[in-house]
Amino acid sequence: MTGHAEMGGGIKVVGVNHRTAPLDVRERFAHGAHEVPGALARVMEAGASGGVLLSTCNRTEFYLVSGDEPALEAVWALLAERLPTAPTGAGAREYGYIARDRDAVRHLYRVSSGLDSMIIGESQIQGQVREAWEASRAQAGPVLHRLFQTALHVGSRVRTETGIGRGTASAASAGVAVAGKIFGDLAGRSALILGAGDMAELAATCLSDEGVQITLVANRTHERARAIAERLGGTAVTLEEAWPHFATTDIALCSTAAPHAVVTWERVGAVIGARGGRPLCILDLAVPRDVDPAIAQLENVFLYDVDDLQTVAAQASVRRRDEIPAAERIVEEETDLFWAWYGGLGVVPTIKELRQRMDDLRAVELERALRQLGHLSPEDRARVEQFSQALLNKFLHHPTIALKAAAEEGRGYGLLEALRRLFGMEPGGKE
Amino acid sequence: MILTLHLVALALYGLATALALAPFMGFRAAPRVLTIALPCGGAAVQVVAISQLTPVGLGPALSMLALCLVLLQLASERLVRGSAVSFFTAPLATGLVGLAILSGVTPDAEAAVARNAWFVLHVALSALGLALMALAFIAAALYLLQFRELKARRFGQVFQLFPPLERLDQLNRFALVAGFPALTLGVVLALGYGAQFAGDLHAAKAQIVWGLFTWVVLGWAVWVRVVRHWTGRRAALASIAGFSAVLLVYVALKLTQPGAERFL
Repeated sequence: MTGHAEMGGGIKVVGVNHRTAPLDVRERFAHGAHEVPGALARVMEAGASGGVLLSTCNRTEFYLVSGDEPALEAVWALLAERLPTAPTGAGAREYGYIARDRDAVRHLYRVSSGLDSMIIGESQIQGQVREAWEASRAQAGPVLHRLFQTALHVGSRVRTETGIGRGTASAASAGVAVAGKIFGDLAGRSALILGAGDMAELAATCLSDEGVQITLVANRTHERARAIAERLGGTAVTLEEAWPHFATTDIALCSTAAPHAVVTWERVGAVIGARGGRPLCILDLAVPRDVDPAIAQLENVFLYDVDDLQTVAAQASVRRRDEIPAAERIVEEETDLFWAWYGGLGVVPTIKELRQRMDDLRAVELERALRQLGHLSPEDRARVEQFSQALLNKFLHHPTIALKAAAEEGRGYGLLEALRRLFGMEPGGKE
Repeated sequence: MILTLHLVALALYGLATALALAPFMGFRAAPRVLTIALPCGGAAVQVVAISQLTPVGLGPALSMLALCLVLLQLASERLVRGSAVSFFTAPLATGLVGLAILSGVTPDAEAAVARNAWFVLHVALSALGLALMALAFIAAALYLLQFRELKARRFGQVFQLFPPLERLDQLNRFALVAGFPALTLGVVLALGYGAQFAGDLHAAKAQIVWGLFTWVVLGWAVWVRVVRHWTGRRAALASIAGFSAVLLVYVALKLTQPGAERFL
């Protein structure tokens, strides 16, 4: 096996995102960190040689190095199992997309730059790409390692060299804006935080910056809750201890990693009912959602989920749109660089394999010819062999130079594919 | 001169209305300085006009009501950053000035009476009271619209341009609590004026009955806010009911007992 065949085929991305699937479908497709190795193992059993699973509230994407379709089918089947009504891959496929090779590289670069986000230029995705890469490290393989490494570099470069990340346009800051539309001045308002992940911490910090008093941080892991509570001046409690506080708090920020709703009617319905007419703003930043939507039916409860907040934030990101062309130029430039590297990656082994094949042929034909030329002296036999070697070198000289040049120019991948087909090195290298 | 000044005020208020409503028609929001300067200019012109006017009859009363509304709009903008109040007050003030012009802004009767301080105070307080009630109604209407958008998770123009719920609730409370005493005092001054100078009340029985009904409804709206501590949507609905009562009674009396010489 040599070249790209050795690496297991081309780069592909298959998945769903906020443009192709509604929130309830994305919730079902979302994978927790503990589910990533199992999901990737299944896809790799189907033929992928490397994989990274990027699962955020806006997207679930499998980045694969795979030569054929079974791996893609495995992804659709895996996702479809999470749908209630469509046990076949077709059910999941209707929500998703596939990008291949250069398009897949460009896609990831756009994702890490925030260009593919609902909120253009949002920075959280950069951390999520890093986390996905780290969670899939054992299964990523060399090409995806390089791809994700460069994706993080591209994300940083875009944010540094353009104004795409300027201003506050994250879901967390949108939560602050929405709460501001209910309460006006947020200074002195109280908030309780459910969950102690990065998103919860980010949103709590945004609220705190506006003068909101973080009174409680509730989480399953007490240590983590305590760390955030100490930083923001609140008290760490368990989730069960938090429910009665829905009677008094102004804002409830929910961002747990629970696989189902934790803020249910049974737990807080009566407590919220006892508030009288005082408004309660609930910001549900979790996917899957933490809050039972039925709670929004209570008169003075204003409940917003990730989609709502991202809609608000998307409005704020309109100004960032002016920076998109500059960001896209960087993405394109970096895609070219990666593609040059990727093309070059297969050149040396392919040339080696080609030379070996040609040399084997030369040796076989030389032996056959020398058998018929038994009268030749050893010196003449050596001269004939030398001639065959020189002829082979002459034949292979130009293709070798052309391949190396194409690789340097980023066109190596296409030429390699052509070469492999022309010289019967396909599929999978040596026959 | 008075008519010309009213026409200038009408033009300025008309422009202010167009600027206030521009974002809802897909245009860019006008600079804040312009949205404040136009009604300010209109109010200044109107003050000059009203100072030359004897406050007797429908036209001057409507003109004074419009002025009070614009002044309250400017105060709301300054005090509670309630710029969205102009979505309602600007067209309302424009309409009132237009109606005042149509009704006639030059008094032709009881000019001497109008110079009486009691009478002037009665008209001024009544106009201020009504304007405050209108402001309470506007704040309540804005509250209900914003409330509906926030509950329905719609983040369009209303969400972006209307003030926060809490601020609208405060504005509604202030307008209601300040407007009711002003209106009551205006009525009391009218009664006092009638007893002191006119020798009689000069009011029909229907005016007294319906006026009392309006006062009770408005009083109830204030009572539920202040004593029962109603807030939010319920309080907004109560103040809308109160102002609706004022409007209904006004229209009913104008239809049953028409007369251009008096406001009610």
